[in-house]
Amino acid sequence: MARAKKSNREATLDNLRNEALKIRRNVWRALRAAGSGHMGGSLSAAEFLAALYFHHLKIRPDEPDWPDRDRFILSKGHANAALGAVLAQAGFIEDAVLDQFYAYESLFGMHPDIKMAGVEMSTGGLGHGLSIGLGMALGARLQKKKFRTIVMIGDGELQEGSNWEAAMAAAHQKASNLTAILDYNKVQQSGHVSDMLALEPMASKWSAFGWAVREVDGHDMDQVVGALDALPYEKDKPSMIIAHTVKGKGVSFSEDTHLWHNNMVPDDVYEKALAELGEPV
Amino acid sequence: MSAASTTPAWVEKVQNQSRLSFGLAVTDMAARDDKVVAVSADTLDLIGLREMVAAAPDRVIEAGIAEQNAMGVASGMATTGMRPYLCGYAPFITARSMEQLRNDVAYAKQRVVIGAACSGIVLGVSGGTHHALEDIALMRSLPNMTVLVPADAHEAWHLTQATENLDGPSYIRLGGKMDEPPVTAVDASPVIGKATTLRRGTDIAVIACGVLVVEALAAADELAGEGIGVRVINMHTIKPLDRDTVLAAAAETRGIVTAEEHHLTGGLGGAVAELVAEEHPTRMRFVGMPDEFAIVGPTPKVRERYGMSAANIMAKCRELMS
Ligand SMILES: Cc1ncc(C[n+]2csc(CCOP(=O)(O)OP(=O)(O)O)c2C)c(N)n1
Repeated sequence: MARAKKSNREATLDNLRNEALKIRRNVWRALRAAGSGHMGGSLSAAEFLAALYFHHLKIRPDEPDWPDRDRFILSKGHANAALGAVLAQAGFIEDAVLDQFYAYESLFGMHPDIKMAGVEMSTGGLGHGLSIGLGMALGARLQKKKFRTIVMIGDGELQEGSNWEAAMAAAHQKASNLTAILDYNKVQQSGHVSDMLALEPMASKWSAFGWAVREVDGHDMDQVVGALDALPYEKDKPSMIIAHTVKGKGVSFSEDTHLWHNNMVPDDVYEKALAELGEPV
Repeated sequence: MSAASTTPAWVEKVQNQSRLSFGLAVTDMAARDDKVVAVSADTLDLIGLREMVAAAPDRVIEAGIAEQNAMGVASGMATTGMRPYLCGYAPFITARSMEQLRNDVAYAKQRVVIGAACSGIVLGVSGGTHHALEDIALMRSLPNMTVLVPADAHEAWHLTQATENLDGPSYIRLGGKMDEPPVTAVDASPVIGKATTLRRGTDIAVIACGVLVVEALAAADELAGEGIGVRVINMHTIKPLDRDTVLAAAAETRGIVTAEEHHLTGGLGGAVAELVAEEHPTRMRFVGMPDEFAIVGPTPKVRERYGMSAANIMAKCRELMS
C-alpha cells in the first residue's frame, strides 16, 4: 500500500518536473519572440509555478473568473514570461499567445496585465503584490469564502519598504489564508543582493514580523510540493515559504548572474538554451 | 586639430542616450567636486554609473529597490552640504516616492537632482505600470522644483552639469536604452529656463520637449515645402517656463502647437496654455498622450498610435492655419 502511494507521489512529482521544464522552454521561446526579456527571475520560479498551477491552486482554466478560485499574484511581475507559460500550459490562454510576447497590442507584455485571462492583478512596479494579496485574503475572510491567496515576491523586491508594511499588517490581521513565496535567487538587477542591499537574516526577519516560515530548495519538486501541501503552517499566522533558488536556473550561462536579469535572446542563444534544457516527455 | 580630436570623450560614451549622459556627467562632476554623490535605486547600469563606482566607490550609495528611502536619504545628505544625484526609473522615482519628494526635497528646498530614466513610453513593451506619462505634471506642480526635459543626449549632458548652479531641487527627464537622434550640437550650452529656438518661422509656433523635438523639426521642414513657416522651440525647461519666448510666439504667430511624450493633462501643453490664457490668448493645439493608459507595444509604434508624431504635429499646424 505504502509502496503504491509512494509511486503515486513520484508520478505526480515527475509530471510537475516535466511542467517546470516546459515552463523553462516556453520562457525562452517567448523571449526569443520578443527579442529579449527577463530570463533570470522567470527561470528561478519554474518549479513553484508548475506546482501551483498543476497541483496546488483550486482554479478553473475554462472559467478564469470563477469567484471561489484561489488567487495567485506574481508580484515580481517582470517574470511574466514564466506566468504566461504556465497559464498557457494550464489552458487559461492559447499556446500561440506565447509568441505574442511584447507584440503590438498584445495583452502579454513584459508585465502581467489584469485584462489577460488568469491574471489576478497588473503588476510590475515592485512591492505591490503582498498588500494586494492581503486585501484579497481579507476579502475572502469577510465574505466567508474558502479561497486562498498566494503571492510570489522577489528578493530584490523585498527592499521595497511596502512589503514590510504588508508583512506587519498581515500578521496583525492573523491572515492565515495568505501565503507568500519568496523566490530567493540572491540576485537582483545590478548585482547580488548581498552586495546591493543585504537582506539577511531572512527567515528570522519574517518570523519576527509574525509569519510562520518554512525554507525549501525551490528547485527540488519534492520539497516544493511538501511545502505547499502543508499550508497553512500555523493557526492565525500568514505563511512564508522561502524558496532558495538559482537565478537563470537550468541553463549554464544564465545561472547566478545579474547579466541575465534581462538580456537579448537572438536565435543562437535560444538554440543553446533549449539544447541544455532538453526535451520534455 | 581634426574634428575627431576636438570631440569630447563623453560624446561617444553616451551613445546618443540621455540616461547615460546623466550618469557620466555626474561621474565627471564628482571628479571635480567631492561633494557630488550618486544615489542609485538598483540602476547602476541603467544610468551609467559603473565608471563612478570604479573611480569613487564611496560616493555611489546603492539604496536598493527602495525609491522612497533613496529620496529621503538624498534629502538628508543634501542638508549636510553634499550634492546628491538620485538615479531611478521615471515611473517609480516620481510616483513611488512622491511624498518624500514633495516634503523632504521640494518643501525643504534641498539641492537634490533627480535623474529619471525610461520616461514617457520608452518602456513601451513593459505596459502601463512602467510608462511615465504623468511625471512632468507631478514635478511641475511642486513649488521650488526645476523641471528639465532634454531633447537629446548632448543636452542631457549639459543640463546635468548646469544643475551645479541651482540652489533648489531639480528633475531631469531621461530616455531609456534607445537611440535618441541628436538635435542639439555637442557644444551647445543650454541655459536652464531659456528655451532654444531651432527654426524661425512666423506662421505657427511648435513648442516641443524631449523626443518630440525631432518630430517637430521634421514637421517644420515638411511644412516649409507647403509654404508654412513653422517656428520650432525646444522647451528643455518646463519649469521655470521661459515666458518671453512663449509670449513672443503667441504674439508673432497665428497659433501654438505643443508636443510632448506625456499626458495632455498637466504637462508642457498645460504650462504653455496657463501662461498664454492669461497674458496673450492665442489658438492652441496639443500633441501628447490622450487620457487613457497606453497599450503594450514597441515604443515607435505606440507613439505613432497616439499621435506623438511629426504627422500629427503637421495636422495640428494645418488646423491652425485654416
Ligand atoms: C518600484 C520598482 N523599482 C524598480 C523597478 C525596476 N526593476 C525591475 S526588476 C528589478 C530587479 C528585481 O530583483 P528581484 O526582485 O530579485 O527579482 P528576480 O531576481 O527574481 O528577477 C528592478 C530593479 C521596478 N520594476 N519597480
